This record gives sequence, C-alpha cells and structure tokens, in this order.
Amino acid sequence: MTAALHAEWIKLRSLRSTYLTMLCALALGTGLGFLDTTSVAHHWTTMSAQDRAAFDPVGNSFTGLAFAQLAFGVLGVLAISTEYGTGMIQTTLAATPRRGILYIAKAVVVGTVALLLGETFAFGTFLLGQAVLTTNHLDVSLTDPSVLRAVSSAGLYLWVVAMVGYGVGALLRHTAAGIAVMFGVIFLAWPAARAMETWSYLPDKLVLSNAADVLGQVHALAVKPRLPSLGLAYLDLLIYLVAALVLGAWRTNRDA
Amino acid sequence: MAWAGTVLPMIEAQELTKRYGATVAVDRLSFQVRPGRVTGFLGPNGAGKSTTIRMILGLDTPTGGRALIAGRPYHRLPYPLREVGALLDAGAVHGGLRAGQHLAWLAASNRLPHARVAAVLDRTGLDAVAGKRIRGFSLGMRQRLGIAAALLGDPQILIFDEPVNGLDPEGIAWIRGLMRALAAEGRTILVSSHLMSEMALTADHLLVIGKGRLLADAGIDEFVRSAGASTLEDAYLRLTQDAVQYRSTEVNR
Repeated sequence: MTAALHAEWIKLRSLRSTYLTMLCALALGTGLGFLDTTSVAHHWTTMSAQDRAAFDPVGNSFTGLAFAQLAFGVLGVLAISTEYGTGMIQTTLAATPRRGILYIAKAVVVGTVALLLGETFAFGTFLLGQAVLTTNHLDVSLTDPSVLRAVSSAGLYLWVVAMVGYGVGALLRHTAAGIAVMFGVIFLAWPAARAMETWSYLPDKLVLSNAADVLGQVHALAVKPRLPSLGLAYLDLLIYLVAALVLGAWRTNRDA
Repeated sequence: MAWAGTVLPMIEAQELTKRYGATVAVDRLSFQVRPGRVTGFLGPNGAGKSTTIRMILGLDTPTGGRALIAGRPYHRLPYPLREVGALLDAGAVHGGLRAGQHLAWLAASNRLPHARVAAVLDRTGLDAVAGKRIRGFSLGMRQRLGIAAALLGDPQILIFDEPVNGLDPEGIAWIRGLMRALAAEGRTILVSSHLMSEMALTADHLLVIGKGRLLADAGIDEFVRSAGASTLEDAYLRLTQDAVQYRSTEVNR
C-alpha cells in the first residue's frame, strides 16, 4: 500500500492540472469572498434592517467557496478520469494489479491534498473576510459560538466535494462527463430542488450545496427554514461521500 | 540467471476464454511461452491477441480458464514489474507527465531503486528528453518510453504488443536488436505483430491464433515448412485464411 501511495503522490504532484485547479480554487475562493465582504462593509450603513439581520459574518466570507468547490470536484474527477482518458490506467494496473489497493491509494492521496487545501482555504478566507469586516465591527472570532465548527466544516465540505468527484470520475471513466455530473450535483441540483418546493422541502434538504450553506454559516437555520438541520447536513455529506466512493469502487473492479 | 527457485519464467494460458455477451473473443486458448527465445504472437485483426495479452496482465478478467506468470496469476505477483514488463499501446501514458516522472512513479509503485530510472532512460536513448513532457513526444519516442517502462523492473518476462508500429527503420532495427538481446539473456519474450517480414527476422517461435483459437504453436522454420510455403507471409496467409473477418477478393490465394 505504501508503494502505491508513493506512486500516486508522484503522479499528483507532477501534473500541472493539480496546480491549475487549486490555483482556480484559490483565486475564486478568496477573491470572490473578499469582494463580497468588502461590498458588505461598504454598504452596511445603507443596508435594510432585514438584510442586516440576515447577514452572516462567517457565511459571507465563504461566498467564493461556492465557486471554488467546482475546482475541488474537478481535482477529484481528474485524479482518476485522466487515467482512463489517456490509457495510462493500463500501465497503472499493470504496476498495481490489485484494484482495491489502487483505488484506496489514489483516494488517500487526493483526499489528503483536498482536505489540507480545503481547510487552508476555509480558514484563510474566513480570516481575510473578518479582517475586512473589522472596519464595521462586524467581525467574529474563531472562539465565538459555532464559528470554529462553521469554518472547519466548510473545509470538510470541500474535501467531500473532491471525494465525490473522485468517485464519479472512477464511475464514469470520462473527464468531461465527470465534470458535467459534478456541475449538476453542485450547481444544478439547487434550482431543481427549488422547483419541487411546492410539493416538498425534502429535495432541498438533500441538496449538497444547501448542506454546505448550513455547515458554513453561523445562523443559517434561523434565516432559511427549508434548509436541512445541522445534523442532516452532516448526514448529507456522508451520503454523497459513501454513494460516490462505493459506485467508483464498483466500476474500478471491472475490466479496464 | 537471477531467477529464484525452480519455476521457469514462463507465460502460460490454460483454456483461457473471454466472452463479451454472445461474442467469443478468446476461445479455450492454451499455450506456453518459454524463456530464451522470441515468441511471435500472430493473428488477423480481431483474432483475440490484445484480449489475450490483457488477460495475461490482469487487465481483463477471463470468462474461463486462466493465465499464469511463472505459475501464478498476475494479480498475485507482489511486485509485478520485477517479473513482467509490458509494452501495451504507446499511448498508455499521461501526456502531462515528464518522461522521468512517469518512470519515477512506476519505480515507486514496485519499490524499485530510483537508479533504475536513469538506467532504462540510458538503455532506450531517452536521457536527453527525461525532463520533457510526454505530450510533445513523437510516436517513436513514446514507444521507446514504453519500452523503458517495460525494462524498469529488469523482468525476466517481456510482452510487447505491436512494438514497431509507427517506428522509422532505425527504430525498428533497434527494437529487433533489443528483443534478440533480451532473449539471448535467457528472458521470455512475447511479441505481437502484423508485420510478417519483421517477424521472420525477429521471432524464433510462433503462436498463431484466429477467431480466438490456437492455429499454430511451432518453431518458425517448421511453421513455414509444414504449410508448404516459401515465406512466413505465405504460410501465415494460408493458415489464417478461414479465420479473418474482412478480406478483399484480390488477397485470396
């Protein structure tokens, strides 16, 4: 297993796509978050009381992560789909014929990178956002209630998106298809669930990005009652994670 | 020879079978590929050569029978690259990696000393381009890289699937010399090809399959003689004429 881990680590750190996707995540994550907090800080005095009440100092600094998450999903997809796209999977499986070991080794390598970067982004954008909000004394500290939970969960969420991407990439064995599915899961599931609200709030509660909203904010629950509870939001992450990884594992065990 | 124990570094197929739905790609194929010689693996398009090689390497699971490397299925080999080197199609690499990086991860995956990377780059004449991304490689350079990867673990068994495809005459001569040299070192060499003239120069022994079945397993001279032919190409065309899927009328003899 350590040999396979080492090999997968060399692959991941040698590829330019790894740095490009994470650079995109960084630019979108911190850039858009910074712009959003700056805008709030500028307009705070003219904002309505309702908008002020809805303002979440933690969630607001995470605006960019809503876009950065696609880059994390793409990182996960690419980690395995390019093996099939280029045909390198044949070389990889000839070197590591036991599929389970290969699948886990890749998951551990991509997962470790995604978790470290995800948490770094979460804490980085949080601190940047709070620095901007200081001017209006709107900032909160990590020691305030729920703040540490919200920030670390935002990083955890990015890790989950990367792992879902990995499972989807392994299942579909195709880069474009994998990214399209991730785009759907991340961005399109939300309006689809909204469309069904007349009948049920259940789809809303199972949408991954809604779970992210709940996890990455301090008082999302008070503002939006149709969102999942905090517990259900964590369960959502687990469901997506397990479903994608199991499907990916199933396909990986089949003829390459 | 550095081979441990008494088991010969042999490739063995026992009643090897692969079906895709109703199609039988490989049909109860049994053969042994022995050390110390170059064994040519011939057959028309769709005969099942690639599928057979993929089953030997554990890439595809047989529907029936089994393929063994020195008595064990491929996926049981603890460090497969130390026992079997394979050149599949030259595209089986990620273009975004540099040649040296590609060999480095392969070495790491089988706990081979990193010095092997430099050794095979040198043997395949790729040392000058080790730092270049594979994306920019010509087909000939990719073939050399594939061969470097196959040689990485200094294996006793080597499998080359269409190694001379797209190579210039110098490259073809180089691969021929390499395969002859590897066989002379006592290694087991299995090489598939469609080029009969090239096979006549390279192979000592032939396995010919058609429609997934074994048509011949013989020394090259014996093969040509028993077909009553004067050249390998003649003998091959006679033997496989009932086994090809597509043929224009002019080629029928």
